[in-house]
Amino acid sequence: MSADDRASDLAVPPTPWRQLAETLRDHLRHPGLAIGTGLLALLLLVALFAPWIAPYPPLKTNMSNTLAPMSSAHWLGTDQFGRDVLSRILLGTQVSLQVAFAVVALSLTAGTLIGAIAGFAGGWIERITLVIIDILLAFPGFLFALALVAARGSSLESVIIAVAIAFTPRVAAVMRSVVLTIKPRPFIESSRAIGMSEWRVLWRHVIPNALPPVIVVATVSAATAILAEAGLSFLGLGVQPPTPTWGNIIADGNSLITTNPWISLSAGFCIAIAVIAFNLLGDGLRDTLDPQMKRQTGRGLL
Amino acid sequence: MTGNEQPPAPDEPLLSVANVSKIFSGGRSLLGRQRSAVRAVDGVSLELRAGETLGLVGETGSGKSTLGRLVLRLVEPTSGRITFAGEDLTAKSMAEVRRLRGSIQMVFQDPYGSLDPRMSVGALIAEPMIVHGAPRADIPRRVSEIMGLVGLDARLAHRYPHQFSGGQRQRIGIARAMALSPKLLVLDEPVSALDVSIQAQILNLLRDIQQRTGMAYLFIAHDLAVVRHVSNRVAVMYLGRIVETGPRDKLYGAPRHPYTISLLSAVPLASPALERTRSRIPVYGEISSGTAVPSGCRFHPRCFRARLVAGAGKVPTVASGDGIIPAVCAQQDPKLEGPTSEHLSACHFGPEHDGRIATLQPAGERA
Repeated sequence: MSADDRASDLAVPPTPWRQLAETLRDHLRHPGLAIGTGLLALLLLVALFAPWIAPYPPLKTNMSNTLAPMSSAHWLGTDQFGRDVLSRILLGTQVSLQVAFAVVALSLTAGTLIGAIAGFAGGWIERITLVIIDILLAFPGFLFALALVAARGSSLESVIIAVAIAFTPRVAAVMRSVVLTIKPRPFIESSRAIGMSEWRVLWRHVIPNALPPVIVVATVSAATAILAEAGLSFLGLGVQPPTPTWGNIIADGNSLITTNPWISLSAGFCIAIAVIAFNLLGDGLRDTLDPQMKRQTGRGLL
Repeated sequence: MTGNEQPPAPDEPLLSVANVSKIFSGGRSLLGRQRSAVRAVDGVSLELRAGETLGLVGETGSGKSTLGRLVLRLVEPTSGRITFAGEDLTAKSMAEVRRLRGSIQMVFQDPYGSLDPRMSVGALIAEPMIVHGAPRADIPRRVSEIMGLVGLDARLAHRYPHQFSGGQRQRIGIARAMALSPKLLVLDEPVSALDVSIQAQILNLLRDIQQRTGMAYLFIAHDLAVVRHVSNRVAVMYLGRIVETGPRDKLYGAPRHPYTISLLSAVPLASPALERTRSRIPVYGEISSGTAVPSGCRFHPRCFRARLVAGAGKVPTVASGDGIIPAVCAQQDPKLEGPTSEHLSACHFGPEHDGRIATLQPAGERA
C-alpha cells in the first residue's frame, strides 16, 4: 500500500481503542479464527457460569434414578450413581480450560525465554540447552506424567505441571529455531548500531518478532493439553472423582458404552469441540499475526 | 549524549583508523580441521575530519562494509586501533562503546530489512533516544522534528515500515541514525537498493543534512558516480586494502593505481561521442577470495600495468596465471605512497607506464 492512498486516517490520528477495534475487526475476518474464537468464548462462558447454568448439582447422587435415558429432565440422562451427565460435563469444562490455559501460560513463558536465550546467545549456552531439550523431547511425556503423579499424588496441579514440562521443550525448540532466523536480519544489527544492549535487543526486537509462530505452537498445544488431561483422568491419574472432568466422565461411561453410549460420547464430543476450537484459533493466528498479512493473504479472498 | 566528551583539537581527526585488520577465522570443521580464514580488512588506515565526507569504494568482497562495521565496533577488529574524538574505541568496554554509538551512527544498505517490521515509525525513531536516556517528555517533539528534517510527514509516525516505499524507508533509517545528533554517520551503501530517481533525492537529503549539522560521513558505495557526487576525499579498496586514496578531484581526474584507472574506465559516459572514442581498460578475471590473497601485490593477477611493464622488458619478469608480470609485483607488497601526502597509491610502477594501453586486448574479448 502506498503512503498516500488513505488520506482519511491522516487527519485523525487513531486512538488506541480505535486501533484495537480495527485490529480485532481485521482478525475476525479470518473464518477459522472467528469460529475458533467463538467456540472458545462459548466454552469460557460455560466454564465461568457452570455452577449456575448446570441444572443439577453435579455431585448429587440419586440412587433411585440411575442410568436414566435422555429426557427433558435429564437432557443427557444420568450415570450409574444417578448424577446428571449434562451438569457434570458443564462442570468438566472448568477443569479442561484450566489445564489448557495453565499449560499454555507456563510452557509459553518458560519455553519462549529458554528458546530465545539459547538461540540468541549461541555458543555453549545454546548447545547445553539443546541437549536438555532433546532429552526432554525424547522422554515419553505420559511416562513422565505417571512418574510425577506417583511422586506428588494425583491432582490438577500434578497434571498441569507434568503437561507443562512436556510442552516447554517443544515451545523452546520452535522459539530457538525462529530466533536463529531473526538473529541475522539487518534490523537486529541496526538495533545494535544505535547502542542497544544485547538484552534489550532480545526483549524489544527478537522476542516480539519470534512470537507469532510460537503462539501458534502454544495454542495448538492447548488442544493437546486438554487431551492429555482427559487421558490422565481417564486412567484415574488426573483429577480425582467425584470432581467431574471430561476424562473421568468418559472413564465412568466406559463400561456402559453399549447401553448408555451418550455418557462417554457427549464428553468425547466436548473434548473434540475444545480441541477443534484451539486448533482453528492456532491456524487463524498463524495467518493473521503478521503485520504484512493484509497484503499477503488479500482481503478479497474472504 | 555527547556533552561529556572533550571537543577534539582543531587539527585532530574526528575518526582515525590505524592499521586495522579483521580476519574472520573459519573455526574448525566437524573433523577438527582448521577452516580457512578470510582476511576481510587487512591493515587499513584512514582519517576523517569533522564535517568531511570520505567515500569508500570497492567491489563486492573488498571489505568496505566490514570496515564500516569495525568503526562502530559492530565487528571486533583482529588488530589495530580506532580512535574516535580522541577516545580509543578498540580499548573500551562494550558498555562504553554502546554509549559512544550515540555519536557514531550507521545507515544500512537494505531499507526493507533494517527496520523492525513490528514497530511503528515513530517508535523506531524514538528508540535511539530512549536507549540513550533522553528525557521522555522531549521525545515526541524531537521525533516529529527529525521526521520533518528528513522529509517525512510527522503525521505518519503511527504507520509501520511496510506501509512505506523504499525511498521513504531509507529516510526513516536516516532519521533513526540522526536522532541522537551523531558526529559521524557511517553510510553503508545507503542508495544501492533504491531506484536511480530516488537515489538522487536521498543523496541531496544527505548533503542538506551535512550542511545543516556538520556531521562527518563515511560513505561506503560501489557506485563511483555516487561517491564522486558526495565525497570530499575518496579511498579505493581492493581485497581488504586501500589501494589509492586522495582528494576527490585528484583521484577522479588523475587516478594513479591501475585498479582505480580500470574502475573509472568502466563508468559509462553521458556523451555517446566521448564514449566511442575512449578505450576500455581491461581488468582480468574477478576479485580474488579473501581466503587466498595473492602473493606480493594483491592486484597483480588482474593488473594491466603489470603486463605492460613486463612487455616493455626492462625489469625481471615471472609468469603469473595467463600473463607475464614483473617479478616485484608477484613478490613484494607495494606501500601506499605518492607524490603528495594527500594522494597516495599502492603500486610499484607509476601511471607513466600506461602509455601503450591501447595495445592490450580489451578484457571483454577474452573468454
